[in-house]
Amino acid sequence: MYLLRLALASLANRRFTAFLTAFSIALSVCLLLTVERVRTEARSSFASTISGTDLVVGARSGSINLLLYSVFRIGNATNNIRWDSYEHYAQHPQVKWAIPISLGDSHRGYRVMGTNQSYFEHYQYGRRQHLQMAEGREFATDPFEVVLGAEVAEALKYTVGDTLVLAHGVSAISLVKHDDKPFKVVGILQRTGTPVDRTLHISLGGMEAIHIDWQNGVPARGNGRISADQARNMDLTPTAITAFMLGLNSKIATFTLQREINEFRGEPLLAILPGVALQELWSMMGTAEQALFVISLFVVLTGLIGMLTAILTSLNERRREMAILRSVGARPWHIAGLLILEAFALALAGVVAGLALLYIGTALAQDYVQANYGLYLQLAWPSAYEWSLLGIILAAAVLMGAVPAWRAYRQSLADGLSIHL
Amino acid sequence: MLRTLLALCMLLSFSLQAAPIKELTWEALVPADAPHVAPQTTPLHDLSKMGTALGEAGPAAAQSMPNAPVVTALNGENVRLPGFIVPLEVNEEGRTTDFLLVPYYGACIHVPPPPSNQIVHVSAKQGIKVEELYQPYWIEGTMQVKPSRSDLADAGYQMAANKIFIYELPD
Repeated sequence: MYLLRLALASLANRRFTAFLTAFSIALSVCLLLTVERVRTEARSSFASTISGTDLVVGARSGSINLLLYSVFRIGNATNNIRWDSYEHYAQHPQVKWAIPISLGDSHRGYRVMGTNQSYFEHYQYGRRQHLQMAEGREFATDPFEVVLGAEVAEALKYTVGDTLVLAHGVSAISLVKHDDKPFKVVGILQRTGTPVDRTLHISLGGMEAIHIDWQNGVPARGNGRISADQARNMDLTPTAITAFMLGLNSKIATFTLQREINEFRGEPLLAILPGVALQELWSMMGTAEQALFVISLFVVLTGLIGMLTAILTSLNERRREMAILRSVGARPWHIAGLLILEAFALALAGVVAGLALLYIGTALAQDYVQANYGLYLQLAWPSAYEWSLLGIILAAAVLMGAVPAWRAYRQSLADGLSIHL
Repeated sequence: MLRTLLALCMLLSFSLQAAPIKELTWEALVPADAPHVAPQTTPLHDLSKMGTALGEAGPAAAQSMPNAPVVTALNGENVRLPGFIVPLEVNEEGRTTDFLLVPYYGACIHVPPPPSNQIVHVSAKQGIKVEELYQPYWIEGTMQVKPSRSDLADAGYQMAANKIFIYELPD
């Protein structure tokens, strides 16, 4: 105990270097834990976004691409698919339910998705949870009704009854707006922690209506315009959608139907199993994750070597201190223990400060990260794996402390009492 | 009294022991009297069919057997079967809790899908962390066989996995 007190007192005497050393360890620990947290959080948020869907079907492209744009609203579709292809498979005897999806527009950076009632009825996330309304109702027959995701409503401060204008394209700032056909908010969904929170849901008819008078890629002008009321009376059955999700009667039939869709003669389609595509995505991201992890490990190592350097250089200044300790009766192993304790105390302070930095940073950045990257960083206790990482850092610090300890052990008396010039 | 209790205990322990795990091969899932599918004899390089084979106006792809016959005797058996995992349901921890077990890797892409009696739908409560899709696993659990009804292809094998472990090549 007195050894620890002595070590701390000695550190307090060199508080500035000690502080800097501990701080550099704290930063590296914080980086390591952040990388680890973002990694696990990204995985779990991806995994919990889709559940219960057997096949996702879209225009032929890549499986990861299709999964990203249809489920996670990342990137864009390569092409649309025909409405009659959707109807063909929605009525297939193997298919229990089908959800059509139409993408491409946005509202202040949040994606707009055209769909129908079956989305609210059949879409599942997390552990087979269905979507719940927090306020209001689902959109009904009027095409100009919108149901907001929880985060859209919160960030843009919309409540049920407000009207909003959708924009063409998916950028945050759009120069082309569908401002002649405003939408009314009829409902707000409960928070799910998935991309659903950042989506505005309109009916397929609404999606069709806002583009109905477009000619040659621009909105019609003058008397070519079709007003919202006129649009309501027109046939708003879509001709094309972006993708659709299928739930099957029997999981065993998944491959057969997937094969059938991939070889569909009507148009080139691609059907994917979301679980398989997710696995492919992870094995692709795995390399980048590992690279980040290795980099942060090296940063921790640098921090620890910085500590070792600081202690080793201080040994020179402290020759007198060691010699006095020896002369008042301290044994060589006391001196060695003192230095190991010093290394341990520095590393422990670094780890604790690193954890504090992590939690303060998480608390501050939580909202921003969720709004911009869709990741919900939890203020949770370190996991078993994180504890083991911290334990390894402390053990490495003690091991490194053994180097100056051994030197001091060998030289403390002779070195400090003999006169060097 | 004590004697009857002891006898009961012995009976119980006997019945617990009485369900040895049966190791299955994929061939065992096809009934012995299953009708033979005539092999395709037309040459693959029949150039006269090239136009329709690649075009989208040609005939729809031939369905493999979506309602293949199953071995109903396996129902309720405690079995062990090796296979590749095709994840269907992944939970928050990244563990696959619901998957299809197939006899060969790539069953989903490169070749026509296997007939329904060569697919087992497995649910695993504890889940399994699948790192690579081409890693085969042993699955241990109780087999449930659904015989075919109607034209709806829902026949097939289901399994509740008790134990999942990595399959290693026998030396």
